[in-house]
Amino acid sequence: MQIAKRGRAAVAICSSAFLTLGRAQARALGHAELPIAVIAHPFGVRTRDEVRVLADGCVDEVVKLATGHNTK
Amino acid sequence: MTSSHRAAELIEAPDDFDAINKLYRERKWSDGLPIVPPTQERVARMLAGTQRARNEVVAQLAPGFAEATVENIAINAVMAGCEPAYLPVLIAAVEACADQAFNLQAIQATTNPVAIWVILNGPLAKTLEVNATFNCIGEGSWANATIGRALRLILRNVGGALPGEMDRATQGQPGKFTFCCAENEADSPWEPLHVERGYAKSASTVTVVGAEGTMNMNSHSKDAAELVHVFAETMIHPPSNEYTHGGEPWLMIGPEHAEILQRGGIDKSELKRRLWEASKMRAGLMSVKDRQRVIDSRSEELGPITLDTMLPISTRPEEICIMVAGGPGTHSVYIPCFGNSFAATREIRP
Repeated sequence: MQIAKRGRAAVAICSSAFLTLGRAQARALGHAELPIAVIAHPFGVRTRDEVRVLADGCVDEVVKLATGHNTK
Repeated sequence: MTSSHRAAELIEAPDDFDAINKLYRERKWSDGLPIVPPTQERVARMLAGTQRARNEVVAQLAPGFAEATVENIAINAVMAGCEPAYLPVLIAAVEACADQAFNLQAIQATTNPVAIWVILNGPLAKTLEVNATFNCIGEGSWANATIGRALRLILRNVGGALPGEMDRATQGQPGKFTFCCAENEADSPWEPLHVERGYAKSASTVTVVGAEGTMNMNSHSKDAAELVHVFAETMIHPPSNEYTHGGEPWLMIGPEHAEILQRGGIDKSELKRRLWEASKMRAGLMSVKDRQRVIDSRSEELGPITLDTMLPISTRPEEICIMVAGGPGTHSVYIPCFGNSFAATREIRP
């Protein structure tokens, strides 16, 4: 949010179960259009290796949300 | 805080208790229990309980960051069934909740069941008949029930923390309906909580605590040192935010236990020191993932953390908080807290 307020590219990453909270907070803090990349919930029970797989799976979306362009 | 000219929305509704409650349920303005309809007349009577202007902004409340004004605090106070004399208490409680160290943002949006426990001290607690003895955190006292309820209504209706939406509590707890009492200063052998926290004895204050739950400690021990160990063993609790982050745990000591401790030469300060030592918990009691959270959170404070590291429940003994409440009986209450929050106290002003 603070990065977005400075006019820089900013993406939040949120697990699916918390998307409602994420969007509500973005609206409350004046950035309803804050890009949010969504990953499957639950996140906290994952091993570090599983987290790396999740990260690989969402990197294209994060890049697209941050830049407006696809990675490919 | 600043003044604001933003007035509450006036809505037309049928002059019917059931119809109004149906409307409030549909709009998610109720905590699940019937509310007292906040008519203009009732709100005006409530506002007479304070000298502050109705449009004064008291605080911005996370996680929605809407402004809590004297007026919308009064509206929720009416809904909860409060007397007008309770309004200054609620205003002070809202101010306290907005204290940065209290971390309302985290408390309101967490999966943790944390509820806000409201503690009153000073002469006003007696004047308003806020219960500090039998069933002080149970049912039966109008002030206790409605003040705690009103604060929760404010935090959801103004702060925006609706269950399942911004409030992500996995199960929640009954304390989220209401959780309010006074300290039993009359039966305490120690200085009152608000004096310990820097206020004059003659001042009236409200303290807000992010309370995870309550755990009864029923001990018939008459030995002070033994009683300390009973309390400390109760505090040891592996799936605990306190040990994970170095928190601020609370104990509500029953008057009989307080007398035993005092007779044994243990005052509040000594009690905190002994509890801090005796409640250190071996890190190996925690799950692998929970221990990793401790490593992430407390390595700077504690150094390398292994299975055999003895984790203190808080960073310092002084962060264990003690108050005295309850009636006769061999009971005290351990109240573990959110871990990422520190209690806040404000003086109650008219």
